[in-house]
Amino acid sequence: MIPKLCYFLKLLVFIILNNLILKLKLNIDGLLVYFPYDYIYPEQYSYMLELKRTLDAKGHGVLEMPSGTGKTISLLSLIVAYQKAYPLEVTKLVYCSRTVPEIEKVVEELRKLMDYYTKQTEAKNDFLALALSSRKNLCIHPEVSALRFGKEVDGKCHSLTASYIRAQHHSNPSQPVCQFYEEFDAVGRQVPIPPGIYNLDDLKDFGRRKGWCPYFLARYAILHANIVVYSYHYLLDPKIADLVSKELAKKSVVVFDEAHNIDNVCIDSMSVNITRRTLDRCQTNVETLQNTISRIKETDAAKLREEYSRLVEGLKEANVARETDMYLSNPVLPDEILQEAVPGSIRTAEHFVGFMKRFLEYLKARLRIHHVVQESAPQFLKDIYEKVCIDRKPLRFCAERLRSLLRTLEIADIADFSAITLISHFATLVSTYSKGFTIIIEPFEDRTPTIANPVLHFSCMDPSIAIKPVFGRFQSVIITSGTLSPLDIYPRILDFRPVTVASFTMTLARTCLCPLIVGRGNDQVAMTSKFETREDFAVIRNYGNLLLEMSAIVPDGIVAFFTSYIYMENIVASWYEQGILENIQRNKLIFIETQDAAETSMALEKYQEACENGRGAILLSVARGKVSEGIDFVHHYGRAVIMFGVPYVYTQSRILKARLEYLRDQFQIRENDFLTFDAMRHAAQCVGRAIRGKTDYGLMIFADKRYARADKRGKLPRWIQEHLTDGSLNLTIDETVQLGKHFLRQMAQPFRQEDQLGLSLLTLEQLQSEDMLQKIAQIAQQA
Amino acid sequence: MDEEPERAKRWEGGYERTWEVLKEDESGSLKASVEDILFQAKRKRVSEGHGQVRLGMMRHLFVIIDSSRSMEDQDLRPNRLTSTLKLMEFFVEEYFDQNPISQIGIITTKNKRAEKLTDLAGNPKKHLAALKKAVDSTCVGEPSLYNSLNVAMQTLKHMPAHTSKEILVIFSSLTTCDPANIYELIKTLNALKIRVSVIGLSAEVRVCTILTRETGGSYNVILDESHFKELLMLHVKPPPASSSSECSLIRMGFPQHVIASMSDQDAKPSFSMSHLDSTGEPGLTLGGYYCPQCRAKYTELPVECKVCGLTLVSAPHLARSFHHLFPLEAFQETPLEEYEGERFCEACQGELKDKSVFTCLACKKVFCVECDLFIHDTLHCCPGCMQTDRTS
Repeated sequence: MIPKLCYFLKLLVFIILNNLILKLKLNIDGLLVYFPYDYIYPEQYSYMLELKRTLDAKGHGVLEMPSGTGKTISLLSLIVAYQKAYPLEVTKLVYCSRTVPEIEKVVEELRKLMDYYTKQTEAKNDFLALALSSRKNLCIHPEVSALRFGKEVDGKCHSLTASYIRAQHHSNPSQPVCQFYEEFDAVGRQVPIPPGIYNLDDLKDFGRRKGWCPYFLARYAILHANIVVYSYHYLLDPKIADLVSKELAKKSVVVFDEAHNIDNVCIDSMSVNITRRTLDRCQTNVETLQNTISRIKETDAAKLREEYSRLVEGLKEANVARETDMYLSNPVLPDEILQEAVPGSIRTAEHFVGFMKRFLEYLKARLRIHHVVQESAPQFLKDIYEKVCIDRKPLRFCAERLRSLLRTLEIADIADFSAITLISHFATLVSTYSKGFTIIIEPFEDRTPTIANPVLHFSCMDPSIAIKPVFGRFQSVIITSGTLSPLDIYPRILDFRPVTVASFTMTLARTCLCPLIVGRGNDQVAMTSKFETREDFAVIRNYGNLLLEMSAIVPDGIVAFFTSYIYMENIVASWYEQGILENIQRNKLIFIETQDAAETSMALEKYQEACENGRGAILLSVARGKVSEGIDFVHHYGRAVIMFGVPYVYTQSRILKARLEYLRDQFQIRENDFLTFDAMRHAAQCVGRAIRGKTDYGLMIFADKRYARADKRGKLPRWIQEHLTDGSLNLTIDETVQLGKHFLRQMAQPFRQEDQLGLSLLTLEQLQSEDMLQKIAQIAQQA
Repeated sequence: MDEEPERAKRWEGGYERTWEVLKEDESGSLKASVEDILFQAKRKRVSEGHGQVRLGMMRHLFVIIDSSRSMEDQDLRPNRLTSTLKLMEFFVEEYFDQNPISQIGIITTKNKRAEKLTDLAGNPKKHLAALKKAVDSTCVGEPSLYNSLNVAMQTLKHMPAHTSKEILVIFSSLTTCDPANIYELIKTLNALKIRVSVIGLSAEVRVCTILTRETGGSYNVILDESHFKELLMLHVKPPPASSSSECSLIRMGFPQHVIASMSDQDAKPSFSMSHLDSTGEPGLTLGGYYCPQCRAKYTELPVECKVCGLTLVSAPHLARSFHHLFPLEAFQETPLEEYEGERFCEACQGELKDKSVFTCLACKKVFCVECDLFIHDTLHCCPGCMQTDRTS
């Protein structure tokens, strides 16, 4: 206690000396942390304490803190301070976020922090931080960057920068190359990028100034950068991670922000879906390959011979693998790749193409079915061996071999070969992993049983497979989000052992969120989206009445979430027939999210306009849709969120069933627990869209009586649960309207920063008071 | 379709959850108490505005009353419209009481249209009559913020620069039906230096927040009827004049009331000039106020002369607005625990129970919160000081 007090005193004296400084310098458990704001939320302080403990222990952590409470800046200021204090312990921060706007936001916060650092220490800052994104977002080549799709940009870039193209350019100057890459390759590597903070635009500007390619510059620079901000996939998807993140140091801290869906990202990165269209396109690919081989054979047979001999020697990467060539990589995790020579049966180009043909025909035959087939990877391998005599080993090398072939054939436009690439990935994956994967072949979609549309799902069921190397390789991995409840399930499904698991609540100077569970209509009929009653006329009518009543009392924007597109369509059609829609439209305009991205963004734009100019609007959207994940409805854009029903996944899906079974067998997680957990995290994610900060406010209406049950309610994040009183559990529409009206009037009263100070917003002096420290200790709840 | 059931379930929807209010007060310091914040705001209102601010004493105020469907809501008794109009009557009286040289006009909006109920005028009678009549009107359709602001603006923009031009919107609906982009209109209002304030009857609407912020007005949302009244009364006090408003001398007439006695044979009954625009019976009267400039006769003051346009007021009227310039100083607030002395309020003689007591700095007398507000808002002089003045 005494040394701590001494430290505080010293700090105070320091502050008195520098009394012009407004921003905060904090002492977090003995670590001096610069915090670039005048005030700090108590939960931020608490969050940093926990984070510090995690870093000290060199372990992993799971931290839940509501959005809008400054997670990002807390993370950044603590980890940067830690890096400065112990440069040998933590060398790099890898910050993974989901979308480009989120990445940009992180970099802006970081810039603020670094400005404050330079102002404080007055020393030249030697910190290098940069954002990395795909070529599409970073390319400055006038023609290439004009392309619309990421795949096209990648393909075009490859056709300008591949090593053989550059070699050809050497002999034949009319062959176009990318001058930005040439410039970078010539000088860029020797001259380090000056320290500073670079977002995507800064990188592009820097690239333009120097005439260097920003994408490759960034990829090169992340090796010695102190902070890297990029997307999840650069770490989790083995196809990309191998290229980009292979050389990151072990002493890095990895942060996954907004990580509530991390298990699905892991699964998606390892899964493959093959349709008949894929196979058809693959067929064309194979033919092209064959033609190219025979052509080359006539003109340049030596080249093929050289490749063959290279493969014999087991030198997979005989050419010094140039970064630009590594367009395709192995879909399996690095430690699973066999370090031996390619087997003889697929060594020559013709044999390999023949092999692929056989494999393709086999897959085609498998897709010609009339009933659903589900089998494990070993079963599949056995079957393929019996039917077409394809061994496991050559299959494993499929991806590797294809890569080598494409390079030898000097095929520049790789984008066209996505189908055969996909098939080769499938081949490699299915022969590498025997556990944690399943193969499901469905002849048609469940919803359209008459239309034949066979699909082969090669589905990963175990998210821990993809993330395991990340946990194994880096010393600290932090998983954080606004909604991670129940906290104990993430360590289980991702199969790791965290040192800290904590949930933080939001300290509020006024109760700005109002969760209400509406269980009944005014006619006392229970409201629920349960399968048996979802077609019930009374339920649909009551849902309609709820929306109608809310549209009359909630100002500006309301966002309503349904459990699925089909359910939404049914309900809206029925509302139309009953005349409910017409009544709602007297109060507010109605916009609907559709599966079409362009249409949805249009609807969203108009929705915001209607909220802005006072007409008021309702956005009908779907849980798990685009709106529910990436779009924030701050302030007037979302004064109320209504969640119609519990957003369970489509439980009849075979992939899901297989996954549930696997979870039960491997991790002892019961089906129901997982389904509820999944539904509740999406529900929390949806309703959380409305509250994006402490000055924001909004109603959260859960319109299903099942939410009132303890097993559902208990899985909501703590910061929502806290405000869910017994009096708001099983309300009728009338009661909801009364409560809502009252709440909205209360919240409309003027609210200034002074009202927050001392309660939910602290200055340094307030932070250091003894009882405040005690209160802070209660904010974090260890799970 | 739900018009009938709504009426039938009146008993059901009407109950108030009074326990909610109680709970918020009790809970720990972390839980928000909006009441507490409100109380602070109330105090602040009294204490602020004591600096040397120039006040726009000559006001032209348009009150826009929303008469759309939502005014039929029964959360104010007996419904929003009746309650609003009743309070408006009170407001108009109070307004002219405190702003004798100001004018007011009333606009209603319903069915996407705006309609002038009364034009800008300085005499309360006409307004009160119009308000009384409006009680029976039906509330239909949506309001139009744009149209009503536009109607008000058309009149206000011709007003001289030294007057304070204001619009007060009483907005019950949460939606507005506008024919054009309202943000353009807000820009125009801002350029014309028209201050728009809004009192919301249901919740905070974004466009009103912007409207009031851009034009320098205030935006409040009512909690209940008494809060509504309080908010309305805030607009009685003249707002501080913007520094850019012009200063100019204003010609005013102070007519003497000439009383002609019945016995005087020369006196002839005559019409008042104010009958020109009143639809009521033009009564013949004997005496009246005569405009010092053109000798036109009026029976009531304050009024603007129909003939020469001179503002006619009486001296006591003008004196009433005097207190705005020299307001009573704020009382000193001390927590109840620290206060030693007799525990009753000097004014109402009640026991002091609130968290804090208020002491007049001049006479050292103590008052409770309610009396403190009453003294500052209504009396404008300290009863304690008055007493000592008289006795000495």
